[in-house]
Amino acid sequence: MITFQIDNHTVQAKAGWTVLETARHYGFEIPTLCHHEAVTPSGACRLCMVELRDGDWSKLVASCIYPVAEGINVHTDTERIRNVRRWILEMLLSECPASKQIQDLAARYGLKQTRFAIENPDEECMLCGLCTRVCEEVVGLAAISTVDRGVHKKVGAPFLRPTEVCVACGCCVTICPTNAMQSRIDAVRRVPATAVTAPTSK
Amino acid sequence: MTRNAKTGVFLCRCGEQIAPLIDLDALADQVRQDENVAYCDILPYPCLNPGLDAITAAVVDKGLNRLVIAGCESRLMLKKFEKAFESMELLKGQIDMVNLRGHIAASSDLSPEKRAEKGARLIKAAAAEMTALAPTIQQRAFLEGPVMLVGGGAAAWTAAQELARQELDFMMAPDIGDPQTLLDDLHQQYPGEWKNYPRLEKIRQEVLQSPHLTMLPPGELVSLAGVTGDYKLTFSEADGSHRLYKAGAVIACLDCSLSPPAEDFGYDGETVIIQPEFDDYLTQKGIFEDQVVFWVNDYEAGYPEFAQLSALSAWAMARRIRESYPKSQAVILYNEQMELPLTAQDRALARKLGVLWVPYDKTIRPTIQEGFITIGNLNDHVEYDIPWDLIVLSPERGVTGQTLESAKILGLAHKEGRFLTGHHARVRPEQVGREETYMAGSARFPCDLHETLVQGYRAGKKTADLFRKSKAGELFVPRIVCSVDPDKCVSCGLCQELCDCGGIGIEEATGGGLPRVVDPLRCTGGGTCAAACPYKALTLQNNTTEQREARISGLARQMGPDDVIALGCAWGGLPAADNAGKKGLCYDPRVHIMGVPCVGQLDPGIFARAFLDGAPGLILLGCNPEECHHSYGVDHAWSRVNMIKKLLTMCGFDRRRIALAHADLNAPEELVRTINSFVNVVSAVGPIERTPQNISRLESMYDLVSNNPRIRHLLCVTLRQNHETEYKGNLRHALDFDRDFSAAIKEEFLRTRVLKLLQAEKRPLRLNELSSALMEKREKVGEQLWSMVHEGLIHRSHQNHEALFTAG
Repeated sequence: MITFQIDNHTVQAKAGWTVLETARHYGFEIPTLCHHEAVTPSGACRLCMVELRDGDWSKLVASCIYPVAEGINVHTDTERIRNVRRWILEMLLSECPASKQIQDLAARYGLKQTRFAIENPDEECMLCGLCTRVCEEVVGLAAISTVDRGVHKKVGAPFLRPTEVCVACGCCVTICPTNAMQSRIDAVRRVPATAVTAPTSK
Repeated sequence: MTRNAKTGVFLCRCGEQIAPLIDLDALADQVRQDENVAYCDILPYPCLNPGLDAITAAVVDKGLNRLVIAGCESRLMLKKFEKAFESMELLKGQIDMVNLRGHIAASSDLSPEKRAEKGARLIKAAAAEMTALAPTIQQRAFLEGPVMLVGGGAAAWTAAQELARQELDFMMAPDIGDPQTLLDDLHQQYPGEWKNYPRLEKIRQEVLQSPHLTMLPPGELVSLAGVTGDYKLTFSEADGSHRLYKAGAVIACLDCSLSPPAEDFGYDGETVIIQPEFDDYLTQKGIFEDQVVFWVNDYEAGYPEFAQLSALSAWAMARRIRESYPKSQAVILYNEQMELPLTAQDRALARKLGVLWVPYDKTIRPTIQEGFITIGNLNDHVEYDIPWDLIVLSPERGVTGQTLESAKILGLAHKEGRFLTGHHARVRPEQVGREETYMAGSARFPCDLHETLVQGYRAGKKTADLFRKSKAGELFVPRIVCSVDPDKCVSCGLCQELCDCGGIGIEEATGGGLPRVVDPLRCTGGGTCAAACPYKALTLQNNTTEQREARISGLARQMGPDDVIALGCAWGGLPAADNAGKKGLCYDPRVHIMGVPCVGQLDPGIFARAFLDGAPGLILLGCNPEECHHSYGVDHAWSRVNMIKKLLTMCGFDRRRIALAHADLNAPEELVRTINSFVNVVSAVGPIERTPQNISRLESMYDLVSNNPRIRHLLCVTLRQNHETEYKGNLRHALDFDRDFSAAIKEEFLRTRVLKLLQAEKRPLRLNELSSALMEKREKVGEQLWSMVHEGLIHRSHQNHEALFTAG
């Protein structure tokens, strides 16, 4: 067993566990967005940052991918961490301003608006990659992936066209933390035969 | 493996998302009292490493061999648990999940105590199913014998090359055709692709020299029997004799045929020809000073998806004539909607050679006249005439003749489209042992020669992979597949007509093949065949009707007076319910959702069992029409539900107690409406009174739909079949048919009830006594009694000039 401290409480863990897993097991709350138990953690959203302190020295790590180690001193809710989370959430507010989940989380850290430019006020996707990971790891296909790079990055099927690879299981919709996939899946799965003839409501 | 189930239940707190909303301690207390539950524990997060380790310790400590994990969506999480506990002999099927978070905590405003009660009901039902589960051992599949390459397609050669390189024995089936004339005929299928012909020639040389090749004498494929790994193929030879070959795997290499388009394109075979005829024209007549017009007419002929393919052929031909006959002219006409499939290099070459690519107005259909073809110009909207000496049209592509026959024999002809696709079932890869039927060539979907050759390589490589796995003993059969009990099977073949997954194989027998084996590597576990079998000869392993009945019975026994069971299809209703929970949509808490892989796999006995054991209402949440991921499961469920409706009416109950609904995973709001309206209907109707009379009727109903071969057979033949590309329901006279079916049900229902009564009373009964006890007309009962005596089902004796009846 590995013994270490979380918020000044002594906890025990086994080799191979991550800091986040151990903290959650012992009931410490760490917010996450891109983490889901069904898939491998990727450390994309950085919201799960915790502070490792060693005397005067400290560093920030992403707890979802940081393995436990003997004697580390983890803090889950310090001013430094709150500051980092505020920054992340503020950037997320500009990236996906339409997401209710992000807004709620931001409000918990005292944020109502963002200083950054909002490109698309209807955007819900924050590109956490859970949908692409669940498609590959759980479903066993890779019907969707992130397309393009940098600021142009988005989630979709190859060439942004409906794909035969998709079996329309809906795992990506269920796992999506911001409901962004609900509006995207119809562009991925084959268009249902009934939808072609049915008049659209809009 | 043992059926002695020791089920462990693990409840998830899920941080704040379950624990404060559901009183987990009360829930655990209720679950612990259940006879099917050996152990119950609450964990903060069963799905994270600390939780998994805790479950592992409990499994070892308590000797658990079944798990029910109550937390969130099984669609997302089950695989992780299956992987984590695989080494502990907890195989697929022995772990199940209940979605407390999505289906209970987030979806209603009940108190934590009430939610705990509802959760306990669902968990106890899951535990009851676990007790009924008899897990099979992990089966392996073995492939023996050479690989057979059938069909006359060009892909056979690359597949063969790949097999030869992987040192696998293979046979080139007789219908592959004469290798010597291969190149001479290739332009018929792949016009204009001269640059790839030498490549194919090289491959052919390599294959013909391979020591692994067996070349079979000419003949045509007549039948295919057996399953993956052990196929028997019969070929008929020219003299009519049949020859049988054994093969471990089959690769179908089929090319589509190219034919002239409809008459309105002016095809005459001499001056207006199609692309496959171009080679012959060139060798016979030559094009010296001709003006040749290539019209890519795929849009007008109704298959725009092949326009680019035709355009590339036309481009190759145009290039060739300009290079060989500098005095000739080449023009390519194409619909403005088509994107040009040309690279920058191609465009430069076209300019250099003077090959004109002319787009035309899509609204003005080009017209062929003698010597001229009229097109609408895009720039000035004027119609221009282009002179021609020869017009080359795009061919019409289709799968016909011997290719179609072979495809049918190999089980490749599908309900969808004019071409043969790979695996049509839209399920997860883990649900089938083989992702697809190994098939290559342009019959799959029209493509160029290069693509065909690549497909051949791919099929060869995948087959070789299968053989390698089989040799290493790593080729496992999926856990949830059908199996046939040969003692019960009468080889009626209905299962094969209903399910088009290709899993029902043919067994070689005297006088022909009998459809009575299951190819476990092709079965997708849809299970509508098992639910339809009149003799219950088919079982869906690890997911049996018995298990479902145990679960629904476990749930129905705990139902309140207006509670409702909902069976959610894993592709429609269940994801919609999961997503409703995810979005926090509230619906009537009286609904109890239970996931099933496909509503088509539900035996009508399961529905009858729900009512018999006390459920006031039952709704099936299936996929949308035409969207079944297996084989018409939702249509088959419709027929079964309809039969139960008839029987409910005959029993004197409201037929609205059972319903089939359609749900889309992406429309959870619609699902909420569906559930609420059904629960309202059922609560207005009220519960079925548990009088002995009613129970006896429900018992008879259950008996009838589960065990009466006549009714099951009649039901089975009404189900939608593979060849019905459109399901209108009017393929026979709908009302007449339904009347006949209802009459048959009425008759058999009465007989079941008579038999039941006689067995229960255990004494001779008079006709009057029987008719009054059953509350049926004397004549009706009498009529059935005579025929039952005649059939030896019951005995008749006489006393004081009156007939007495006893159970046989």
